[in-house]
Amino acid sequence: MTVQYLFFFAQAHHEFRIPELLSLSKMFGFDLNLPENPEDQDPTRPFLIVGLQCEEHARLLASRSILIKSVYEYYGHGSTYEELHLSNRNNRNKWARYIPDTSFKFIVTAYNHKIPQLRQRDIVESFSYMGFLGKIDMKNPDIVLACFEECKSYIDRHGTTREKHEGDGLFKQVYFGRQVAMGSARSLITMFDVKKRSYYGNTSMEAEISLLMANQTLASPGKVIYDPFMGTGSMAYPTAYFGAQIFGSDIDGRQMRGKGDTPGIIRAATQYGVATRIVDLCTFDITQNPWRCGDLFDAIITDPPYGVRAGAKRLGRKRELSPAKMAAYLEHRASPRPDDQPYIPPTKPYELSRLAVDLVLLSRYLLKPGGRLVFFLPTVTDEYEEVDIYSMLCPGMEVIANSLQDFGSWGRRLVTIQKTVRVTYLPPVVEAQDRPEDQHVPAHKDFREKYFRGFKSKN
Amino acid sequence: MVRLITHNLLACHVKGCTSNNFPLEFKDVQVELRDAEFNSDFLRGFIPKIEWKALVDAARQVGNTSLPLELPEMLDDDFLKSLHHVLLEIHVEEGSMTCPNCHHVYPISNGIPNMLLAEHEIG
Ligand SMILES: C[S@@+](CC[C@H](N)C(=O)[O-])C[C@H]1O[C@@H](n2cnc3c(N)ncnc32)[C@H](O)[C@@H]1O
Ligand SMILES: [Zn+2]
Repeated sequence: MTVQYLFFFAQAHHEFRIPELLSLSKMFGFDLNLPENPEDQDPTRPFLIVGLQCEEHARLLASRSILIKSVYEYYGHGSTYEELHLSNRNNRNKWARYIPDTSFKFIVTAYNHKIPQLRQRDIVESFSYMGFLGKIDMKNPDIVLACFEECKSYIDRHGTTREKHEGDGLFKQVYFGRQVAMGSARSLITMFDVKKRSYYGNTSMEAEISLLMANQTLASPGKVIYDPFMGTGSMAYPTAYFGAQIFGSDIDGRQMRGKGDTPGIIRAATQYGVATRIVDLCTFDITQNPWRCGDLFDAIITDPPYGVRAGAKRLGRKRELSPAKMAAYLEHRASPRPDDQPYIPPTKPYELSRLAVDLVLLSRYLLKPGGRLVFFLPTVTDEYEEVDIYSMLCPGMEVIANSLQDFGSWGRRLVTIQKTVRVTYLPPVVEAQDRPEDQHVPAHKDFREKYFRGFKSKN
Repeated sequence: MVRLITHNLLACHVKGCTSNNFPLEFKDVQVELRDAEFNSDFLRGFIPKIEWKALVDAARQVGNTSLPLELPEMLDDDFLKSLHHVLLEIHVEEGSMTCPNCHHVYPISNGIPNMLLAEHEIG
């Protein structure tokens, strides 16, 4: 039997909400029932009613979800107080056990709106039929009962939900329940704040998104997780904090090292107490990688270079070398140097839609069965079509979540792809030449050029 | 870092170097020992991936002889403790790794190996 819980969410990254809940319930290994009516799943609204087996599951979600603000046992809701009281009376079996001798506190609020004291008191009074005999205790109550008004809301052009103030007492829905847990993982956003990190760079990913990505990987103790475009390691810290062991690599060792002897990533990981979980950092081009075998990782978490701040590149060059230059490069082989020395092998541009296809293929090889690839794909808002995401898949890899972070004319999609087969694959061969464009051309193709053109058409 | 778990997973990937390209040979190494968290599920899960002889040899190269020559059938606690130490607590901070086949040298500095290839070595 499932019990209904009322979840109250932060009004941010609404497209990430349901994927995060589903990932966490999968990670903890319990069932989670979403409302059947799609309108009741609307992520632009702050509340969601979810069916769970027990209160402990609600607490677990609140301990790990980045978007949950608080969780209540659901007692009732309605578009008027009459409707609310009717459903609350029908749920008497849920709260009758608190009648005889439970101290309580009553909270009445509205999201982004302050209900005047007088009306607050009236609302509390209107619940008097519940007949609670325990004492009211504002400091240390046994239970907290909460009544929330949901104001009418709209989504602004940044994708943030805003409340419309139409006056006190005008609301869309009112909800009532008993407080079960406060979302404790939201404080990690402050803890992992990039500005307070001892090592970061201009490619660092903001804390909240890194944490949401980490939850999509199902990171937990004993898991092994890899970032092939490690940069300054932003996603490694929360992932390691959740208990996973991390491998990182990057074509440019200086991104991972920073200045000083101890690599920057190790300095930052030490700050978070997770340095021992950064297993190793290696410098290499992901298209020419030294992994001895596949089926290694539980997840791959990454922010691929899309050429705006950190250009996508790969080893090789656009044109052949002169004999003299060739001789100079041959010398590199005779006296190889660490990657922080001036010699950096030549690189050539790496077009985004090709990189995405290569990343999915490589992940299928490197992931364990059931493993997940979690990565960002930038998209051009007006041109994006769902088929763009499917055009980069290969057999055995399935999209399980696709959440947009909207920046206006462009956006980026957090894509979660799962390896659904037990087949062991051979390492994919990354073709040196660009493929002929015979297939669907996704809108993220040549993203860098489109970005710098301001997403206007060529002519 | 470079821990022996990683060493056990890296092969030479120079173009055409496809046999006898593993394990890479450590040269002139500076080793540090650092505690790591013990997790027996992680170890048990990883064992099928290990090239056992390569691990035993690499451990010897850096002065650790605690592992048996053959992977034991019974994975008791003592064995898992030694395996944990060898895989995760021995860090090669400086030195290099050389391919036994094509002799490409992969240098290690401050614990990070440079596995980049020069341009005539890529496919
Ligand atoms: C968007 S950044 C990743 C930033 C990282 N998440 C962070 O927190 O700093 C992309 C990274 O990919 C690296 N890169 C670009 N092309 C690569 C390739 N072919 N193989 C490996 N790394 C590559 C760049 O050096 C850059 O550090
Ligand atoms: Zn070789």
